[in-house]
Amino acid sequence: MPRSEAMDGARGPALAARIVHAWWKGDRSGLARTLIAILAVLAAATFATSIMTGAADASVGNVLRWLAGDASGDQALSMRDRIIILDIRLPRAVLGMLVGAALAVSGVVMQGLFRNPLADPGLVGVSSGASLGAVLLIVLGSTTFGPVFALFGFYALPLGAFCGGLATTMLLYRIATRSGETSVATMLLAGIALGALASAVTGVLVFVADDKQLRDLTFWGLGSLAGANWTKILTAGPIILLSLCVVPFLARGLNAITLGEAAAFHMGVPVQRLKNIAVFSVAAATGASVAVSGGIGFVGIVVPHLLRLVIGPDHRYLLPASALLGGTMLIFADMLARTIVSPAELPIGIITAFVGAPFFLWVLLRGRSNMGL
Amino acid sequence: MIRASDISVRLAGRPVLHGVSFEAAPGTMTAIVGPNGSGKTTTLKAISGELQLSKGKVTINGDDIARLKPFELALKRGVLPQSTIISFPFTVREIVGLGLSTGGADGGGNGRTVDEALEAVDLAGFSGRFYQELSGGEQQRVQLARVLCQIAAPVGDGEPRYLLLDEPVSSLDIRHQLTIMQLARQFCEGGGGVIAVMHDLNLTAMFADQMVMMKVGRIRALGAPKEVLTDETMEAVFGCRMRVGIAPARDVPFVLPQTASL
Repeated sequence: MPRSEAMDGARGPALAARIVHAWWKGDRSGLARTLIAILAVLAAATFATSIMTGAADASVGNVLRWLAGDASGDQALSMRDRIIILDIRLPRAVLGMLVGAALAVSGVVMQGLFRNPLADPGLVGVSSGASLGAVLLIVLGSTTFGPVFALFGFYALPLGAFCGGLATTMLLYRIATRSGETSVATMLLAGIALGALASAVTGVLVFVADDKQLRDLTFWGLGSLAGANWTKILTAGPIILLSLCVVPFLARGLNAITLGEAAAFHMGVPVQRLKNIAVFSVAAATGASVAVSGGIGFVGIVVPHLLRLVIGPDHRYLLPASALLGGTMLIFADMLARTIVSPAELPIGIITAFVGAPFFLWVLLRGRSNMGL
Repeated sequence: MIRASDISVRLAGRPVLHGVSFEAAPGTMTAIVGPNGSGKTTTLKAISGELQLSKGKVTINGDDIARLKPFELALKRGVLPQSTIISFPFTVREIVGLGLSTGGADGGGNGRTVDEALEAVDLAGFSGRFYQELSGGEQQRVQLARVLCQIAAPVGDGEPRYLLLDEPVSSLDIRHQLTIMQLARQFCEGGGGVIAVMHDLNLTAMFADQMVMMKVGRIRALGAPKEVLTDETMEAVFGCRMRVGIAPARDVPFVLPQTASL
């Protein structure tokens, strides 16, 4: 596919970044490590801030004193604070961190697998597929899938979402990739079609759902961390953490696969196994996130893209950095969601879409020439 | 020794190679030539292990490549593809470094090998540039530097290693064509083997020890350039009636397109 002329229109990162790269002689690993350390601090700070801010007054200090066993304060007040901090804000921040990391890392892995920066689980129908899987379980849970609930309990919902996400990802990969080459246009268009199909089937299910099921379904479409509680964290947390622990082992292979599947094989990468593990991780992380917080879009495209501009596409650094920044950004977006129209709350999916959709267009326009669009 | 024994390949159900057999000994450069669509690249892909064979087998230093794991193959041979398009902003150093990190070649991941490889392909000082902004010829040389990082020495673990190059000089200027061909030659002299798909018959005649001339998926002529490049094979394979000349000084045959009639 000799198309190198098409690269002429491609522009690299901003001037400041280019100067840094020239200075480091193309070696950005030191820069990447520094950034990861900074992001870790930033994540911790955002996490703490989100626990301290909210519509209601609540003193973290009181709660810490209560935890330390000092009961000298106003007992009633501490009890109220305790509930707000430990049972509302803390699970919400933890869930935000987990889901944000899962979405950003899923984005990185999918983009590596499809070899282009526009692949995002939310955009190409994986989240819709995962929603369909979960909705199927909610609506048919009492009848057809009764045994699944009996067997898996809390985990039935993420399991359903995982299966939906997995099926969509595999189907998409089949459609968009031919003999190791992925067509960006086919991927995006097929993703739209698959997403629409999944949404249509979800719509039918919503139509036949009863009132109680409808209530379970409503918050899904928008995406929100509002329902965060410790049960949800125990449900989705282990699955997300497992995915986050697996993907670093894919980093070198994903780097190699950016040169093409054949080239990756030539360099010693077991390509088929890499693809299988990557697809499973994406489906598991996306599925678990969708199961507990609905479809929150664009995190998987904004976070990796911003980071690539600074530290480059090396997955050994991009994966941990994306996990940290994804979590941080989602918690931050959630703080916005629950404070700008306080005491009411915006669904977080609206905020991420407001930021993410224009960003996506910018990436698209900027990278048109070297993505074959 | 790389040995292709009676290999056939089907692509999308269509037979593309029919019983191709040849050997590439360590210390020699083998050039695969032929008209467009004659199966040169398919042959190279079959030898690299990338394609499933419908018949026959390929061995590398005696081992059937179908039985070797990807990382074992990666220690024995490096492959330069025709062109590589990347949609992520890698720097030249990062691309070349991929050869170190995934091949598991000799050296640890120190920066010196990357710089040496870049110097070998005449790209010293390019390490901080972005791959996507380079010209086609420069990109091709960056990829070659990556392969040289993967297969750093012509001999490793007491076995010869091989470079499989698909049109390594197709988009290079004449000076760099010579640089790269000499690099391949040195690799052979160091005890390794090279198999290259070539278009330029004159460069091939200058540098190759053995020529595999193909037409529609079959080998039509095999041997030293002097035996293969004859008026008869040129007409039979390329459909060009032309005179093959011999450069007096070096006893190397050459073909002048000016002498052709179609």
